[in-house]
Amino acid sequence: MKLKQKIVPYLLISPYILHFSLFVAFPVVFSIVLTFHKWNIIAPMEYTGFSNYVRLFKDAVFLKSLGNTLIFLVIHIPLQIIVALVLAQILNQNIKFRGFFRAAFFLPVIVSGVVVTILWEQLYGFDTGLLNRMLVSVGMNKVGWLTDPNVAMSSIALMATWKNVGLYIILFLVGLQTVPTQYYEAADMEGANRWQKFFKITLPMINPTIFMVVILSTIGGFSLFIEPYVMTGGGPLNSTISAVLYIYKQGFFYYHMGYSATLGLFFALIILLVVVIQKRFVERDV
Amino acid sequence: MKSMSKKIIVSVLFLLMFISCGDDNSSGDKITYWSSNNSYEIQFADFITKKWNIQSDINVRFQPVPEGQSSEEVILAAVVGETTPDVYSNMWQGDVEVYAQAGVLVPLDTLDGFMEFLRERCDSSVIEEITSLDGHVYQIPWKINPIMLYYNQNIIDTLNIEGVPGTYSQYTDAARRFKKDKDGDGYVDQWFGYAEVKVTWWQRFFDFYPLYLAASGGGSLVKDRKAAFNNEAAVNVFRFLRNLYANNYFAKERLSARQDVFLSGVIATRFTGPWEIARAEQFKPEGFKYNFSQIPVPDNHTGPVYTYGDPKNIVIFKSCKYPEKAWQFLRMMIDEENDLKLLEFSNQLPRRKNISENPLYSDYFAKNPLMKKFAQQSEYVKGTDASPVLKEVFDLISQQYEACVVYGTKTPEQAINDAAEAVNLLFIE
Repeated sequence: MKLKQKIVPYLLISPYILHFSLFVAFPVVFSIVLTFHKWNIIAPMEYTGFSNYVRLFKDAVFLKSLGNTLIFLVIHIPLQIIVALVLAQILNQNIKFRGFFRAAFFLPVIVSGVVVTILWEQLYGFDTGLLNRMLVSVGMNKVGWLTDPNVAMSSIALMATWKNVGLYIILFLVGLQTVPTQYYEAADMEGANRWQKFFKITLPMINPTIFMVVILSTIGGFSLFIEPYVMTGGGPLNSTISAVLYIYKQGFFYYHMGYSATLGLFFALIILLVVVIQKRFVERDV
Repeated sequence: MKSMSKKIIVSVLFLLMFISCGDDNSSGDKITYWSSNNSYEIQFADFITKKWNIQSDINVRFQPVPEGQSSEEVILAAVVGETTPDVYSNMWQGDVEVYAQAGVLVPLDTLDGFMEFLRERCDSSVIEEITSLDGHVYQIPWKINPIMLYYNQNIIDTLNIEGVPGTYSQYTDAARRFKKDKDGDGYVDQWFGYAEVKVTWWQRFFDFYPLYLAASGGGSLVKDRKAAFNNEAAVNVFRFLRNLYANNYFAKERLSARQDVFLSGVIATRFTGPWEIARAEQFKPEGFKYNFSQIPVPDNHTGPVYTYGDPKNIVIFKSCKYPEKAWQFLRMMIDEENDLKLLEFSNQLPRRKNISENPLYSDYFAKNPLMKKFAQQSEYVKGTDASPVLKEVFDLISQQYEACVVYGTKTPEQAINDAAEAVNLLFIE
């Protein structure tokens, strides 16, 4: 009986342990081992010591890809939060067709990323794109949305915001609906205006939601891949090559598996660091 | 009820056992052959395997290469998973060296009668081109699709120029005459040519590489483990193309996502291969005339005009139990008569010498005069250099191409020099 009591818990957790070992622990350990090797999948692995790490810090394209990812995050996260919060506030009111708008804003989230990207590529077309046609019709100059190196990453950030904002609207709506109405009633009695209520009650009360949105959109932003992969291939002039796209190219395009694993590990550490910093500061200050 | 369930379970188990005992690539006295998965080549593969199987004790079973993002990826996955076919006939020449160095290909020059056959089929430059760095030959040169200048005859006729532009200055002059802002919005919307502006390495097969081969008389990109393109020909090609983009004679915008820009007259020329013929015949508007010509060369160019042949070759994997028999099959598959069948089925040129003058093919070329142009060009085509890092080489050139040619942020000299230096670093262990 005692033996059975001892064994059963282990048996019950064994499926998870098996899954974790095969699909998490082993790949992580194997990729760390890979960072010290040169391997093109076909030929046997060749030990190269720390050469992949040395190469990483000299790799101008990788450093540029980190910079691009940072630019994307700086544009995307505030834009995402502001747009989602404003729309959530509106959709939290008693407006007409509220259900329809909630569904409409969420629709892009469930549409395939590739489909959205192809659609926006048409909108961004220099000669035939709808956006430039609109600009020309009001007497403005055309913009190289995807062909101007100074604009391309912003265009991608705008598209990514459109694609993902629906999810964050839902999260903010949930957060807004948990704010007790008594606080607003008390504020009304004290003569607080709309802005004061928003900044003194709403924002502090949805602090956990904001933190979650910041974390989710940061991680989502760090994993930027489909949009530049399909739309620009990382160009023009590497202005939209994201870190993940570069890691993918090294691994599955050139089969530099060792180097790709090194980049991946380094990038994972950066994400970890950023999330820890966010957790310390954002959670406390927002 | 219970016995019914038992019967169902037994039937399912029996069915599973039956399926799992099915044929696979390595079982039985068979040779498995993967062809390309376009419908024309499937028809050819079906024809040729049936013809072989009638008279051979070891049958060949063909299947199109399984679907994937690219056939190169599928083959790589097969090599890694050790599920390669015995014979594969759509191998990009630039990939062969990687597989040869990994030891997964049969050195064909060790097979009985192979080199004699090869010398009869191809001239010495082709044999030199396909010989690997270890001195063995791992591939059979099978078919090519030379890249040429595809032009709209109706447009060329209206430009008041003498014939089809064949030199850089003639081409640039024609481009200047054709460029137009049709809708008057201040932006050019009619260009003389178009090439994909993406940095994807293989896009350079349709702009820089054929122009470089033409300008350099079939020069190499890499030789003796270092860059071999840091020369006047490459600089001239970059300068020529840069000028076209700087003057808006070529579109910087991606035009591939809209209606065929060549057939709709938005552009007048492209650097492309014979596969355009079938497309043009199917979709061209009434009265539309088109033709092919040699790739433009520098004004002072002398000698034949080379181009990229986009060769696809045949390899035998080491997993093959009967390499000699596989070779016998391939020998039959690419003999003169069956090369004609390949031409008829797929409109792809066999890579064999003097094909345009061979009487066996004269009827075909009489019926397909545009293909004769490609056949004549096939005497002056080049594939790729033998190098395990060729994709990286093309990618590094592509990076500099984008910076210099498309965006003009570097001079041609600087861009070619930077590309060559980066390529040289690839060879430093």
